[in-house]
Amino acid sequence: MFFTLSLVCYLVATGLALAYLIQRGDLVYRLSTGATLAGWAVQTIGLIVRTVETGRPPFWSFPEAISVAVWVVVLLELWAERQYEIKVLGAFVLPVVVLFGISKTVAMPGFEAMRPTLHSVWITVHVVLALLGIAAFVLNFAGGIMYLLQERQLKGRRPGTFYYRLPSLETLDRLTFRALTLGFPFLTVGLILGVFWAGRLDPLIVSSALAWVIYALTLAGRAVAGWRGRRAAYCAIIGFAALVLTLGAGFLMPGPHGL
Amino acid sequence: MGTLFVSGLSHWKAPIALREQLALDGDKVREVLADVLGSGVLTEIMLISTCNRVEVYGVAETPAEAGTRVFQHLCRQRGVDFTAVGETLYAKTDTDAVAHAFRVAASLDSMVLGESQILGQVKDAFTMAQACQTLGPTLHQLWSRAFAAAKKVRTETGLGRLAVSVPSAAVELARKIFDGLDGHSVLLIGAGEMGELAARHLVEQGAFPIYVANRTWPRAQELARALAGTAVPFEDIETTMAAVDIVLTSTDAPTPIIGADAVQRVMHVRRSRPLFFVDIAVPRNVDAGVNQLGNVFYYDIDHLQHVVDANLREREREAHRAEAMIRADVERFVATWKDQEIVPTIVSLRERLEAIRHHEVAKALARLPDASAETRQTLEALSHGIINKILHAPIAKLRESSRSGHGGSWTAFVHELFGLRRDG
Repeated sequence: MFFTLSLVCYLVATGLALAYLIQRGDLVYRLSTGATLAGWAVQTIGLIVRTVETGRPPFWSFPEAISVAVWVVVLLELWAERQYEIKVLGAFVLPVVVLFGISKTVAMPGFEAMRPTLHSVWITVHVVLALLGIAAFVLNFAGGIMYLLQERQLKGRRPGTFYYRLPSLETLDRLTFRALTLGFPFLTVGLILGVFWAGRLDPLIVSSALAWVIYALTLAGRAVAGWRGRRAAYCAIIGFAALVLTLGAGFLMPGPHGL
Repeated sequence: MGTLFVSGLSHWKAPIALREQLALDGDKVREVLADVLGSGVLTEIMLISTCNRVEVYGVAETPAEAGTRVFQHLCRQRGVDFTAVGETLYAKTDTDAVAHAFRVAASLDSMVLGESQILGQVKDAFTMAQACQTLGPTLHQLWSRAFAAAKKVRTETGLGRLAVSVPSAAVELARKIFDGLDGHSVLLIGAGEMGELAARHLVEQGAFPIYVANRTWPRAQELARALAGTAVPFEDIETTMAAVDIVLTSTDAPTPIIGADAVQRVMHVRRSRPLFFVDIAVPRNVDAGVNQLGNVFYYDIDHLQHVVDANLREREREAHRAEAMIRADVERFVATWKDQEIVPTIVSLRERLEAIRHHEVAKALARLPDASAETRQTLEALSHGIINKILHAPIAKLRESSRSGHGGSWTAFVHELFGLRRDG
């Protein structure tokens, strides 16, 4: 119930953020931020209630974990929006939030939470790290999209809405890179723990390992060959596609990640 | 109490030939302010004189006459025929004058929408009038609020932010590629005037260091000194390109001096750090094909002009937002300002009725020595109730009339009716 309500808030916030991108009224921006905050507050209460009711962390089933990922993404978005002064960031992050939220709502019924075992501490750590990683990569993805849009404007030499509304390429590249360096360690350790715990390869591990390889190559490319800008943006998008594939696998699998 | 008015001429109707004849420098403005205030037609006055407008803001009993008087005085002083000026004059009073002042300060009435000079010019005019002691409470409040509103428009809309000249468009684009210009280096090739101007703009925004290349070495050195930069030999252009962020070209070479293959080599060394070409030369100095290369952004003079045109359209869109903000601010200002006009009248009216009430209640109680506390209370409440009921309609009427600009006559009327003292 809480989650549905917060999802509605996020949906409204997404609509307003997209409207703000085009229409640029300050009121629209404030309403969008308000709706985001409201959704986040409702979700926070929902997570607390669930924790108290079940007496375990609120992310021991796969869809629940997605819900927490949404919660972290929204928090990160609100922070980055202020940190990098990108008032239109919501228009690029919130649609992802809504898609995650909807997939979680649709998938919910069939999943059961895992039963506490000897390894539960490590599993908790594994899930938390993976969630933080995913949240950072959503930001990385949004940064990449914005970079490509702004680059297109500048290369095309016909300034349009995005030229005026998006920040400089350098700022966007910095945001993308920062999000990558934030998410990568989380994903790395999360993945190692996951493999260790599962003890075998399942589709989810394979596709998240694929995402890991893409992100690792991006970082290596930047360090060795100075990949930035457009290349980094493309990598962010491809990496995120692999990550989405991973999440899809998680939803479809009755195996360990279905728990 | 007089009426606020503005009377003046601007680029909208008055041709430059007329505006330049009427434009005044500081000393002249001081003189006119003193003369006009001395004539006793106005109680407050401020004069704005820029190359696009000459305007008088004032408070007077008869605003139309006062406005004409000031401009007649101006014309006499400048030896201009008033009839020609009279035709282009506009006059606004009260709320319309407030709205005009707010729009002027916010640069919504400017020839180049959103240009930033006007606010400074209006502030100077304000300071001047303040120094000459020709400002009263009305103009003082009007302008402090108008300045605040203009500042808000500046920070909250893109009205003044976008470049509307070719050199500043180059700066703006550089800011869309690189975050700020601080520490970003520039190579200026050629000694064209536009190139130098654009380079100066970049330097002002913090671009550093600056390299200058030119076919003739002494000219390169001269220009480098002027820009506090370093002269580099013409043959070293390619190596220098590898190190800088922005390349400005404005030579009169008949064919491109920078080819796509040279830039490709440079980009390889740069490891995908963006390179921004501003080619102001006609014919162009850089092979237009460089824009195809990754992380290269190439703008010739036409492209820069496209940006300027787009910015002007964007400024107009932002102006719609600014107009709405200004309208709201004007409304707020007028409401508080008008209330001030009637507040003394309301206060003395209340005092007057309260005095009567107090007196009559005391008289009645003197005739009822045995009255219980309850009776006394009832009498007080009854009399309070009566005067509040009586006051309700006149106060509402006063507020309404003041907001519609007829406060003056209505307050006078109330003073007359209730025998109130004129100074409230």
